[in-house]
Amino acid sequence: MGARTSLVNAKNVTLSQLDVSVKLGALRLSAPTLMGSGCYGSGEEYAPFVDLAALGAIVLKSVTRHPRLGNAPPRLVSAPSGLLNAIGLQNPGIDAYLENDVAKFADRPCAVIGSVAGFSVDDYADVTERLAARDEIDAIELNISCPNVGTEGETFACDPALAEAATRAARRVTGKPLIVKLSPNVTDVAAIARTVEAAGADALAVINTVRGMSIDVDRRMPRLGNASGGLSGPAIRPIAVLAVWEVAQAVKIPIVGQGGIETARDALEFILAGASAVGIGTGNFTDPRAPLNVVAGIRDYLAARGHAALGEIVGKANPRFLGAR
Amino acid sequence: MRMLDRSPAVHRTVVSDRREPVPGIAVLGLVAPRLAEMTLPGQFAMVIPPGGGQAATALGIYEAEDTRISLMLVVVGPRTHELAALPTGATLDLLGPLGNGFELEALGENVALIAGGVGIASLLLPAQRLASRGKRLTLLYGARTAQALVDADRFSELGAKVVCATDDGTRGHSGFVTDLLRALPKRAFSGIAACGPSPMLRAVGRAAAYLEIPAQLALEETFACGVGACWGCVVPLTRESSQAPKFPHVETEETRTFVHARVCKEGPVFWAHELRW
Repeated sequence: MGARTSLVNAKNVTLSQLDVSVKLGALRLSAPTLMGSGCYGSGEEYAPFVDLAALGAIVLKSVTRHPRLGNAPPRLVSAPSGLLNAIGLQNPGIDAYLENDVAKFADRPCAVIGSVAGFSVDDYADVTERLAARDEIDAIELNISCPNVGTEGETFACDPALAEAATRAARRVTGKPLIVKLSPNVTDVAAIARTVEAAGADALAVINTVRGMSIDVDRRMPRLGNASGGLSGPAIRPIAVLAVWEVAQAVKIPIVGQGGIETARDALEFILAGASAVGIGTGNFTDPRAPLNVVAGIRDYLAARGHAALGEIVGKANPRFLGAR
Repeated sequence: MRMLDRSPAVHRTVVSDRREPVPGIAVLGLVAPRLAEMTLPGQFAMVIPPGGGQAATALGIYEAEDTRISLMLVVVGPRTHELAALPTGATLDLLGPLGNGFELEALGENVALIAGGVGIASLLLPAQRLASRGKRLTLLYGARTAQALVDADRFSELGAKVVCATDDGTRGHSGFVTDLLRALPKRAFSGIAACGPSPMLRAVGRAAAYLEIPAQLALEETFACGVGACWGCVVPLTRESSQAPKFPHVETEETRTFVHARVCKEGPVFWAHELRW
């Protein structure tokens, strides 16, 4: 560590003084890494393996108004350079969640972002209001893009009017930072991003999983219990980087770039495309230390190139980057 | 006496030895003192790919003695090829020990161990523990072919009676290992511990129910996280099971009787009669 902290760059900033903090609306994170919803449980599952204090934020598993048993197994299939999943939003429902689970999040040493999924505008308003009212929750991520709950779940992210309505409904019931998670399974993600920004979102998470399917040719049937699923992992990284690039040319609010990030260089692609922070989901399944390695690698990159803060390079590869740095 | 901390962690291990008992199956010996001490029979590890770029691999812990553990793997894809090719002295990071092991005391005095393929890897530690407690052991061991029956002698050395079955009839019974079980009289054993592919374990469960023998099954499932975070590896489990997760509290016509339990967290070992698969 001695060698690292003594490394001084052109601006006379030591590695440990480099500013990698990020602001998503009023939410300030000490590190630019958010653990993707559904991939990280509530954080306690990973506490034996990683110092949660070093993460920027944990995005909790999505909760819905009513309890959900989730999809029938099998729910996971490995895919080339990726993972196909169809969990189906298994969760206890907001009543039981508030009663049994939320209090446990108080002692998390990093930011805790609640994730809300729904099947109607009313669902989004109701669950957001009740969850955001809790002190343990620092911000809300609106999951309008789950591909694994029939057509209803993703409709909101695929229709500008519905995306706007869900965002507006959630915005009305909470003043806490509101992040809206967009789907890549659309013709024009930038158009959706614009309507969501106009509806009051503080930040956008780009992207959720890409729809996909795998068929067992011996049994002649889809491998997933739900037939179709959502693809994540390195396989979707170029799709996600492009989505961030396009959204960054369309909105001024900060973007959380995600899709197949495992290393700092992966994360930097998103940041240079215009993301202020990055989400890590499937990457934790390769190595739970991935988020720490990503932050360490970003620090090294900034130091080597004479930057004092991560914000200086956001959107640097994107000539039509619209956001603030 | 010192209390042993069994909580899982990231362990940096070093490859101490490797062998390929038959082509396509590798046993990787690792220097892992804490894991060797902590691991309970039936627990597993998530092996972090040394080169990154792919998901971690869940493997049952085969041997655990002094400062060494070993993992048995079928070399089928890029992940297992990478692991099987690791030279002695290479470091390998893994998460463990994970999951809940077998409830060995509940199996009684006359125990059948039933293995399918490399499912054998999750049964050596239980066999050693049971043998040391003076239990009578029988190993029913099935594989595709005689060559794929790995390390059966390790079980005979423990005093277990070994009965084999092969799909092609090259050793022992020609057919499934579960055929051997079905041919037995009721209550032929006081308990069963089994590990193998899901279709085999389902058949063991059905046969055990008919024979009125309590059976614990160590499930092999596709994991993503392996630590209970993603809910990808669930099996339907009766609500009454002591292993049933409290959530979700879903009550519908269809789901009144079962919940989805995580194989990696609530399992991987379940009582056969509590599975609703």
